[in-house]
Amino acid sequence: MAAQPNGTAEAPIEVSSLPTVVGINFGNSYASIAVLSKEGGADCIANEDGERQIACAIAFHGEEMYIGNQAKQQLVKNSQNTITGFRNLLGKKFSEISANASSTSAPVIQHPEIPDEPAYKVQILQPAPSPLPTTATNTPAASKTATPRSEPVPADRYLTVSEVTTIFLKSLIKSAEDFLGKKVQGAVITIPTWFEQAQKDALEKAANDAGITVLQLLEEAGAATVCTTSGPVPEGLSVDRTQLIVDLGASGLSLSLLSLRDGLAHSLATLSDHTVGGDAIDDKLVKFFAKEFTKKTKTPLNVCPATDAQDRRAEAKLRLALEHTKRTISASPGAATCSVESLKDGLDFTATITRLRFDMEVRSIYDHVYAKVKELVSAAGLDLYDVDEIVYVGGSASLPGLDESLTLGFAESVVTPFKQGTVVGGGAGDPTTILSRGAALQAKILIQLGESTEEEREVKASFTHGHQYTQAKATSKTIGLLFPEENAGEGSLGGQWIPVVLRETPVPARRIVAFDVDLGEGEGEKKVGFEVWEAKEGVKIEKVKPPKVEDEEGAPEDGEEEEEEEEEEVKEKTVEKESLLTSLSFAAQHAQQKNGRWTTRLEVTMKVGEDGALEVSACEVGASAKPEGEKVVATVPAP
Amino acid sequence: MPTIIELPVVPQPLPANWTAPASSGKSISPLVERRLLPAGQAYLEHVRRAVHNLSFEEHDKHAEEERKRLEALNGNGTGIEDDLGVGDEEETEELLTLDPKEWKKQDHYAVLGLSHLRYKATPEQIKIAHRKKVLKHHPDKKAGVAGDSNDDAFFKCIQKAFDVLMNPERRRQFDSVDPYFDLIEADVPTASQVQKAKNPEKFFFEAFGPVFEREARFSRKQPVPMLGSYDDPKEVVEAFYDFWYNFDSWRSFEYLDKEVNEGSDNRDDKRYTEKKNKAERQRRKKEDTARLRNIVDTALSVDPRIKRIRQEEKEAREAKKKNKGPANAQTAKQKAEEEKRKAEEEAKRKAEEEAAARAEAKKAKAAAANAAKKARRAARAATEGGQPEAA
Repeated sequence: MAAQPNGTAEAPIEVSSLPTVVGINFGNSYASIAVLSKEGGADCIANEDGERQIACAIAFHGEEMYIGNQAKQQLVKNSQNTITGFRNLLGKKFSEISANASSTSAPVIQHPEIPDEPAYKVQILQPAPSPLPTTATNTPAASKTATPRSEPVPADRYLTVSEVTTIFLKSLIKSAEDFLGKKVQGAVITIPTWFEQAQKDALEKAANDAGITVLQLLEEAGAATVCTTSGPVPEGLSVDRTQLIVDLGASGLSLSLLSLRDGLAHSLATLSDHTVGGDAIDDKLVKFFAKEFTKKTKTPLNVCPATDAQDRRAEAKLRLALEHTKRTISASPGAATCSVESLKDGLDFTATITRLRFDMEVRSIYDHVYAKVKELVSAAGLDLYDVDEIVYVGGSASLPGLDESLTLGFAESVVTPFKQGTVVGGGAGDPTTILSRGAALQAKILIQLGESTEEEREVKASFTHGHQYTQAKATSKTIGLLFPEENAGEGSLGGQWIPVVLRETPVPARRIVAFDVDLGEGEGEKKVGFEVWEAKEGVKIEKVKPPKVEDEEGAPEDGEEEEEEEEEEVKEKTVEKESLLTSLSFAAQHAQQKNGRWTTRLEVTMKVGEDGALEVSACEVGASAKPEGEKVVATVPAP
Repeated sequence: MPTIIELPVVPQPLPANWTAPASSGKSISPLVERRLLPAGQAYLEHVRRAVHNLSFEEHDKHAEEERKRLEALNGNGTGIEDDLGVGDEEETEELLTLDPKEWKKQDHYAVLGLSHLRYKATPEQIKIAHRKKVLKHHPDKKAGVAGDSNDDAFFKCIQKAFDVLMNPERRRQFDSVDPYFDLIEADVPTASQVQKAKNPEKFFFEAFGPVFEREARFSRKQPVPMLGSYDDPKEVVEAFYDFWYNFDSWRSFEYLDKEVNEGSDNRDDKRYTEKKNKAERQRRKKEDTARLRNIVDTALSVDPRIKRIRQEEKEAREAKKKNKGPANAQTAKQKAEEEKRKAEEEAKRKAEEEAAARAEAKKAKAAAANAAKKARRAARAATEGGQPEAA
């Protein structure tokens, strides 16, 4: 290899202990890259254009090739040579692709040589061939042939989807290597849930062609989970929770309902819908702004669909400008502007839109997402109230209006990144970077796996898709402790209920809980005891009439005209005990007196074996937080 | 380590009539098949347990070992940088309410959380301590916190302290008048304290050791000989006192200068203040030198080693004499007395002689005076006698 003037990306000496791995979120419209940070987390990095959200677009203009957001600008004037939306076509046959593919960019055609292979045809300028063959002394040889043309030659180039992907991924990796100053050792690339095996293979091949060592193709839901489970548990959540992932990207919506149990995640239901997304939001807004434009300038502008070439170009310009408008709306509570120079007929256009107006315009999309979420949750046999946490993914999901209209249906305690304020300012819940960060964290785990023994290889292999270890059994009912109480309310459980192993917990599982137990005031033997029950959890829905708003004194009482007040649904989580499993009781030895009452700290360990056998053990812990008392164990045989 | 979930609930006491119900014999509901997402640390651990066929406890042990191994590999744990022993000091209310305008009065070491190191802190340690404090007290960090978000007073104090301590000259000036040592400096053991102590030897070393240790920091010459121990040989002890009597101190008192009034353009005023400051500095320096001299004097006067050395020398001399012969030794006293007597006699004689000589000299003087008188008289008589002759 010839020495490059500025050195190569290959660093001979390992300076830092951080592995140089990257996480790539490869969406249909936008991609992002994340690297590991010194603090043990992951950071989304910007490419050389300063973009963290890198548009998945490649444009050819003359001899030049543009990749990313620069290529997107080409959609206005050079749309025939601009390729977008290629990820979703990966691994598909030409006959499988629906004909109404996006018309604003380079058309997808049948590859001239490979049968049934989709391809893009772009016009490029090939560099002119070397004018004259040179001799050893580097002087032009005497030749009788005419001097060849010295300007570039126009040519057609056919690019398969795989080739386009390779070019794009290569540019991403190059950005990462420029940032790190080192060769990238491996990458985790995210894929949507609905990717078939053929598409995965195609992506892996394209990535390998780009010179990337693919550590894993990780489902987007998995990447989001890794990101949310690494680091401390957020306020208001426990390690066992039900997580709803709302991925509203540019070209589609995909929802996943996950059961997160101490970091282990499995999917309860998934759903994807390609009818809504950022593009649909854009459609609404383009229409809105086109109307505004017509109102202001009296120039007709027909968009969505645009009929003539001028309108089409205007629409493309508006779409590019809207990107900025949407970001402003997401980031600040004020109004956002949209301005386009020479939108049509040489007329400039500037308009502002407030958040309220914005939400009104795209209300139908929010409602659509909400309906889909409901559909998903009920498909999993749950209620919206069972969801503990919502995680947003994708650029369009950063819109605060979406969160506002979604959370209305959930329990008030539901945790969203908007509530926690981690959306803006590169917070942990930033929907635009969460996938790439999750992928980078996953890559960190994978790169550290050894491969020296058979067992280690097996561990590594278990991360491939559909491996036997991804099959697991999970509990179907919640198991918990019941502390009987003297005067518990009738109809209730009859005591203090402490859920320990929640339903949908993959086995083998172990949970340890610690809490104080009140032992009363009396002296003498202090008995600690509890029952272990399996319980059924549900959500009780009550129809309650809202309290009537007192009419003002002077208001006329015409009851006939008054509408029947709509009943409100009031939901409440309920727990019913189903079957008694076992019980434990012992005398407290290490009780301490506090404010006249005796208390002791109890640590209860519950283990569910792979076969479903349950083992409950309890012991007292002293002030030193070390188990002090004798361990009392009860077991329940496997079913 | 297994995660322990701390629950805030407190179950009430059991009902008096409650007895643990017998196991029902029922098992948990049948398990359902699920497909895990192959992602995250938890999945890795789940697979490891399955592959290696480990129970939870065994896995905990393995994980702990792995953690320890990684810690050993990466030095001081993963992600935690070595802070060179700077540590974290508690910040008192008093410290946090310091006024940056009064920075001359603040204890810069305490502000940076280095009061356990003081003059011993290295520049690296100061840098680390400063970074720690800044991370905690930067105004940007407090912007979101409720209350007075403009409260950057303590941050200014931190910056001032860092400025002073990172400049070697200004740090010396501050070290010279470090308020922490003011109180301690006053507490120097006196000679009577040492003499009255139950165990004077032990007390001497215990009391004077730290005194010399803290004074040593001012020495231009390093290393400084320390007090040492009771068994030090004569040369060491002598070298010690020799060094301390010729102590070369860098201690200076610019830090206590009165501010030159910047506002006034009066040059005389300025010069006057400067002059006064200079004089004050010199006075303080002199005082300090005297103070140190005093300490060394006191130490020397009560140093049990000096006594011991004298005793030893005497014994050595006596031993020498003993070696010459026992007879000599017997008469040593007589001899000494004789010598003394002789010396006395000598002195007496000398005194007498001196007295005699003095008397002699007096006589001679008187005689000379008489002679001169006589001569004058004779001369007068001669002139008187001659005059009438001439008249």
